Amino acid sequence: MLPELLQGIDAGGFLIIQDSASYSGRHLLKSFINSALDREEAVHVLGFEVSEEELKDGLKGSPIQRLHFHNAYTDPLGWTDHPAFTVHQFCLEELTRLVKQTSHPKPATLVIDSLSWILRHLSPPDVCKTLQQFRKGGAVRAIIGLLHADMHQSGTVGSVCHLATSVITVVPVVKGDKAVAKITKRSKSGKVMQDEEIFSIKDDFTVIVQGKPSQHGPKQADPKEQETDPTANLTFNLRLSDTEREAKEKLALPFVFSKEKKTALLHSGPGSGRILYEPDANDDYDQEDPDDDLDV
Amino acid sequence: MYTELNSILNTSPDSFTQGEFVLLSDRKSDASFLIHHFLSLYLRARCKVWFLGLVQSFNHYSAISQRLGVSLVQAKEKGQLVFLEGLNESLSVLIPQETDTRSQAMGFLSDPAVGLKSLYEFVRSSVTSSGGGEEEADGAEEWGPPVLLVDDISVLLSLGVSVGAVLDFSHYCRATVCSQLQGNVVMLVRCDGEEEEDDGDDEGSERLLKGLTHQCSLTLHVQGLPTGFCRDIHGQVEVCWRRRQGDWQYTQKKLFQYKVHDKGASFFAPGTSSAVL
Repeated sequence: MLPELLQGIDAGGFLIIQDSASYSGRHLLKSFINSALDREEAVHVLGFEVSEEELKDGLKGSPIQRLHFHNAYTDPLGWTDHPAFTVHQFCLEELTRLVKQTSHPKPATLVIDSLSWILRHLSPPDVCKTLQQFRKGGAVRAIIGLLHADMHQSGTVGSVCHLATSVITVVPVVKGDKAVAKITKRSKSGKVMQDEEIFSIKDDFTVIVQGKPSQHGPKQADPKEQETDPTANLTFNLRLSDTEREAKEKLALPFVFSKEKKTALLHSGPGSGRILYEPDANDDYDQEDPDDDLDV
Repeated sequence: MYTELNSILNTSPDSFTQGEFVLLSDRKSDASFLIHHFLSLYLRARCKVWFLGLVQSFNHYSAISQRLGVSLVQAKEKGQLVFLEGLNESLSVLIPQETDTRSQAMGFLSDPAVGLKSLYEFVRSSVTSSGGGEEEADGAEEWGPPVLLVDDISVLLSLGVSVGAVLDFSHYCRATVCSQLQGNVVMLVRCDGEEEEDDGDDEGSERLLKGLTHQCSLTLHVQGLPTGFCRDIHGQVEVCWRRRQGDWQYTQKKLFQYKVHDKGASFFAPGTSSAVL
């Protein structure tokens, strides 16, 4: 599903790349920028976290003049005199103005690096509102945002991801430079598709999908388990032949009482001992009920 | 300066990567020996160094650097080292003197909610005023790219500054020193307690560490040994390159064990200490 997304997001789409401190999603973000540039789309990057040089580093081969970098990196809070773009300018009007600055026949893609920076300074409802309005506004074809999921409360991450049409969560694998992408894609009909793919990114930001982790991981272990039979190669016999079973069923077990056994025990035969009791006249026999005083 | 660490990080006083943001962190251990390493490394590399010493006095760093063969007093006199002694500065904010002409770098102490703009202003004004040392007139010595060291940034949390404000400060430092002036930034973060999987709602050093990890290009994470104290191994350090290592931008991790000596430290692969072999 990852190559499909790289091929292009539907018009009005909103893609979120979620990463964590253990694996940066910026390389994948660059792949998306690269593939959008290759499709001759204009790409507007709202860069909070990396400088223009750092972002364009490695993208040199592609037609870079269609990449418009809006510098929110050097002064996102307006601490110096001439901020280019501050985080408080993140609203519908300003974003539309930014994108409209350059005219390009093809629809543009807005890349936000990263949503975490904005979410740290603006309230999540405001950010969600701006994003939704901007997406519906039609100024851009698609929005791609990077989100550091481990920097925010899960509720915030969840509410932003609900806006997105596609969410890619990147998780590192234990060894190698590969990573797993967990993709959730919501199509316009409302159908939700989920997929997991192992991928790696080459020097020129092409993404190579190397299969699905579920096929390599636990499923491979299943046939192995079926092969090994724990009852094989035992030193004793677990099964019964027919004659053995018959003999087993015939056998009377010692503490199971059959009718014959009961009568034999309760009616003792002649010659056995018996207790005879004749009450004596002097016996002190109390007529009263001894438990009479009990309040039962 | 530990030569073994230099060879691990592929740096030397003569050649080191510019524009790097190095994050030092520790958990249940002490990573301050790495601060001394970077301090002496950059002083030897003839960089202009700004040092925000928030936890120790100048004499402390001076005494240790002396052992590592670098004189901080001389560097200070030559103008190579600018040392902000946080302990002294904060005293002058907390107990204002009438004849006080100090900078307002630690002004956030009186009102932590304002953020660290004042501290950043101090860094920016002093870093940019010297212009990275290029156009020094009147025969003064020329210094290389600027370097900012912070020991340690998590102490700001204890002073009432929020995690977000510290992250803003480090972002601005990175934008100015690393990107604009092609210098380096080294910051130390202390994490108390266990590594926890919570969803980021804690205002603490964990969140600071995560936020800084997203910003930095190289992390050195020092931990105690999971098996407990050992006389021959003081702990382990995990080196993680996050980007721009040569042409290859992938996260690459290496684990080493270390032992700090009187004058230096040795680093070795796990399981190859003298106590084992």
